[in-house]
Parts: sequence; structure tokens; C-alpha cells
Amino acid sequence: MLNPDPDAALVERVKQGDVRAFEMLVVKYQRRIERLIGRMVRDVDLVADIAQETFIRAYRALPQFRAESAFYTWLYRIAVNTAKKALVDMKRDPVMTYTSLQGSDDDDETYRGGMEPTDGETPEALLASKEIAATVNAAIASLSEDLRQAITLREIEGLSYEEISDAMNCPIGTVRSRIFRAREAIAERLRPLLDTRDGNRW
Amino acid sequence: MSQPDSDRSSSESSRRILSALADGDATDSEAVRAFQAWRDDPDARASWHAYQLIGDVLRSDDLAAEPAADESFLVALRARLAAEPVVLAPQPRIEAEAVAMPEAANASATTGRVRRWQGPVAMAAGFLVVIGGLNIMRPFNHGAGAPLASNTTTASGPVLASATSINNSGVIATTPRTPAQTQAAADQLAPYLAAHRQSAMNGPFQMPGSDLRNVSLVQPAR
Repeated sequence: MLNPDPDAALVERVKQGDVRAFEMLVVKYQRRIERLIGRMVRDVDLVADIAQETFIRAYRALPQFRAESAFYTWLYRIAVNTAKKALVDMKRDPVMTYTSLQGSDDDDETYRGGMEPTDGETPEALLASKEIAATVNAAIASLSEDLRQAITLREIEGLSYEEISDAMNCPIGTVRSRIFRAREAIAERLRPLLDTRDGNRW
Repeated sequence: MSQPDSDRSSSESSRRILSALADGDATDSEAVRAFQAWRDDPDARASWHAYQLIGDVLRSDDLAAEPAADESFLVALRARLAAEPVVLAPQPRIEAEAVAMPEAANASATTGRVRRWQGPVAMAAGFLVVIGGLNIMRPFNHGAGAPLASNTTTASGPVLASATSINNSGVIATTPRTPAQTQAAADQLAPYLAAHRQSAMNGPFQMPGSDLRNVSLVQPAR
């Protein structure tokens, strides 16, 4: 039996006109979408631009999203198509700029969507990413068996709460609580790394 | 930097809901609270990001990203989203009509109720006119002899007519007349019909040339 789309509530909220709910989806999937695009397009700055364009296209098309597939599957297809289009445009015009990705009705050719050059591939950024990965892995290793099993079944195996409840032989409320406590414990270890930049918060 | 207990508890409650929403397990009312928390509370936004980042890193180390990069991505996208028309997917038709035009729907329902009654009421009025006409004719029946009750025991045979009535829900119901009633009505009408025939044949309203003639058109052969 297929599990229901975990993003259904967020998608419905966006369809009702709440753009902030779409931001939550962006925060959830941005890294995966960038990695996907990064495997197709080598230019690091272009990866971020294509990812931006992917989310804008998804936002525009969301009223037509009929939940016949999971939201992420649908978003994944949009990302692939957007990256392919970028590659085609690049072959046609090797000095392609980000503006070529945008619709032809956009007159402002200098507009880059407010995107500043990223430091995605700088040595400092790579180091920070590795540090985050190491911290998460260390934090999960230090969790109790119950918490580690619950969050692993959810995040790595992709099981629903009901399936985890069956697997761990405990009520769904307990599953929910264990996953929350596991996340909190890991986030607590991560916090010093997440708050380093100018005190900026989300 | 101590946080009041109530704030801490509320903040933890918001984070619990965000955690459930991340897995698609929040109830509708919890989801609404989560959306509010994301909109109003920077700590809730930071927690949502942290939970998602943790999930990504658990799946693959190469999904670990510097938080500042994630944040600048969202800030840039937010600026572009602000220039986009707000997404509003059409709601199911019935629900949308009920929400958008409740007053119009009520007015329409009222009109519908009135219209439903118009037909039966008109029909009932028609019957009243007929009954009134029969009552006016009743003095002529008194001379016809036998009272109505005397026919009740003699009549038998098929039901020839029905009495029609309208029930509360506007549905026309028919009540079969008994053979006795049918016979009584026929007896009541017989003198009237006889008088009518007589007047039609010989009365002052007889049309000139009332005899029928056969007429045929013959076309001349060419």
C-alpha cells in the first residue's frame, strides 16, 4: 500500500494562497534539488539559479498539481526539465546567463532574482558542510536505541508512523514522540554550527 | 537569558507539531498552528530547517550544506515569489459555491420552495372552483329524487374516478372513490347533463345552420 504524500497538508495550504507554506517546502527540498541539478550542470552558480527557477516553475504550476504522484516526485521532474532546458540553451549560447532561463516575457534582462553569488564550493563552505555531517552522525550515534531506530526508520527507510509503530511494537503517539526527541537531541548538537553567521535566523 | 516556562512550553509544543508536519502526521488544526509558527516565530523556522537538514544528512552526507547558503537561497527565492501572483487553486464547485454565496444560495432555496408550491396551489385552486360550481348546481339536484345516501349500498363495479388531494410535501396524492360515491356523483350530474343537451339542441343559443352537411372538393381533370 502506498503511503500518503507527507507534503499533502503543505501543498493544500499553498493552493489556498499561503506562499509562506511554499517556503517550508523550499527549505525541505532545496538541498536535494540542488544536488540533482548539480549532477546535470557543473557550474555551481548556475546550479543555484536553476534550482531557483525550478521552485518558481513549481509554484506557478502548483494549481495544476493533482497529487497523482508525491509532491517531491513532481518537483523532481520539474527540476530535470528545467536543467535540460538550461543545457540546451547553453549549447545554443555558451555565454548563457541566468536571464535565459526566465520566461521570454521578462523584460528586465539584468534581473537575477536577487540571488547573490554563492559560496557553495569554497573551502570554508565545504568544511562547514563536513562539520555538519560529522556532528549529525555523532549525535545519532549517541542516541538511545529507541530514538535512533525511530528516526532511522522514518528518515532513511521512509516508513510512515503507522509502519514504524508496527515495526517497533509501540503506539503511534510514542513513535511521534521518539522521532521528535531524536530530532531535538541532534538539533541541540547542531545549534552552535547553525547560528554562526551574523546571528541571522530564518 | 532564561525563558519563561510558558514560552518554553509553547515553543516546544510548536516544535513537536513541526516535527509531525515534516512527516505528514499533523492533524488539520496542528498544521494551521505550524503554518502560523513558521510565519511568526524565527525559532520555529530555524527548527524546521534543522529537522530537514538532519533528515537530509541521515540520507546522505553530501546533502549537508552550510546553513547560510540555505538561508540566502530562501531569501532570494522569497523576493522572486513576492513578484508572483498568489496561487489560488480552484476549490471543488459545490464547496466553493456554498462558501462564496451562502446568501444567494438561501435566496435561491426560498425561491425554489415558493416555486415548488405554485403548481399544487394552482391545481388546488382549480378544484375549489369546480367544487364551488357543483355546490351552485346542487339546488337542481334536490328535484332529482333520491337522497345521496340511498345509493351507497347498490353501487358496485370498477372505480371510475379518483379524488385528488395535495399533501404537505407538495406531492399530489390520489384517493380512489368508492363505487357508491361514483354512482352518487353520476346521479347528481345526470339532470344537469340532460338539461345541457336539451338547451344545446333547442335553446336560444342554437347556431343557425347547425345541421351537418357533407362537402367534398373535386378537382377538374386536366
